Amino acid sequence: MKAEAIRALLEDAFPDAVELSVEDRTGTGDHFQVTLASPAFDGLALLDQHRRGNAALAEPLRDGSIHELRIKTKGTA
Amino acid sequence: MKTLSEQISAVIEGEPVAVFMKGTPEMVMCGNSMRALQALHAAGAPITTVDILPDPRIRQELSEISGWPTIPQVFVKGELIGGADITEELSASGELQRKLDDELGADRSQDVKVVALEVDTA
Repeated sequence: MKAEAIRALLEDAFPDAVELSVEDRTGTGDHFQVTLASPAFDGLALLDQHRRGNAALAEPLRDGSIHELRIKTKGTA
Repeated sequence: MKTLSEQISAVIEGEPVAVFMKGTPEMVMCGNSMRALQALHAAGAPITTVDILPDPRIRQELSEISGWPTIPQVFVKGELIGGADITEELSASGELQRKLDDELGADRSQDVKVVALEVDTA
């Protein structure tokens, strides 16, 4: 899976993201580092921020296209 | 024999800090599981681990219970804290240690324990 495809899923789920980067950490298309800042996360606990991020990537997480996902989320407030 | 789901819930509810991971503390099979263990260790946590690799149903049942899709998963006193990233962030900020102090006391044990689930092979 390409980093651009992950990015597209996150852009769909978080159209108002103020920061979004997806890095293919190993160059093998299955280990990703996602950094995401969105007003959608304002006031949410870290656990719930990650739940929202994971939900946007539910399909590739379920079918194994993402072997390892690292996420850093933050709000904008 | 208890069902897998019952066994998983018993670990989550019964252990002060439960970590569902790939491998064991002696033989960690995944970088994220290693990061979670290190972050917990740094925060002075007792650690009870469950290896999810012996049977794919362990991970399926666990995610059904927690609503969390990835491994590792860290629970403190029955409550999901998160995966490796959150555990690392909370450990680095000192928040994890404060939570452990609150929930388990400052003079808590820091034992590491491994629980093996009984999987029905029939």
